[in-house]
Amino acid sequence: LCLGTMRNNFEGKKVIHFMYEVYTSVAETEIKKICRDVRQKWPSVKHIAVHHRLGVVPITEASVIIAVSSPHRAESLEAVMYCINTLKASVPIWKK
Amino acid sequence: RFSSRRRRRREPAAEGSPPGDRGSMRCQQVAMQYFARSTELEELRSETLSVPQQITSLQLWEEIVKIHPRLVVIWDQVVFAVQQAYVLLGDQLLVLQSGDEVAIIPPISGG
Repeated sequence: LCLGTMRNNFEGKKVIHFMYEVYTSVAETEIKKICRDVRQKWPSVKHIAVHHRLGVVPITEASVIIAVSSPHRAESLEAVMYCINTLKASVPIWKK
Repeated sequence: RFSSRRRRRREPAAEGSPPGDRGSMRCQQVAMQYFARSTELEELRSETLSVPQQITSLQLWEEIVKIHPRLVVIWDQVVFAVQQAYVLLGDQLLVLQSGDEVAIIPPISGG
C-alpha cells in the first residue's frame, strides 16, 4: 500500500491545501497502461487499485493511494513502487 | 513514457501548394485544451484553432505561440497530447483532422 500525503510546504511557502487538476481522458489511459504493465512484469499480482483525489485536498490528507495484492510481499512492494513512480512521470495531473 | 505518436497515412499535398515547409495549406479546426501553467499564462482552458492539416509538432507550437505569445516562456517544458497520445515538440509530422483534440501538457505534478 502506498499512501501519498502532502507536506505543509511547497517551493518555500507554507501550504494549507493543494488543488489538483487533471486531463481526464489521458490520465485514465495512462493509469490503465500502468496496471497492464504491472500485470506483465509481476504476473503473480492479484489486484491493483489506484486512486488520486482531485480538486482541493487539505494537507495531512492523502492525495493518492495505490494498493497491490499478491501471494508474496516482494512483488506487491515492487509493483507499488513502480505504480507511484510511473504515475508521477506520466499521468497528467497537476497540483497547485 | 512520452513516446512518439504513430504516423497516420499521409494524404497527398493539395495541388498548387508550395513544396517548402510550413505544413500543408489545407486547414483543420482542432480542439485545443490548456492545463496548469499554460492556462494561467493565457487565462484559457480550451478553444478551437485553425491549423494546417500536415504540420510538425514544433511548427504547431509556433502557430500557437503566434496567437498566445505568453506561452513562449514554457516552450522547453511542454509536450503535446494529440488525440490523447503524447507528442514531443520537434520533427514529428502530425496529420490533423477537424475535431482532433490537441492539449498542451506542462510538467506534471501528481502523486
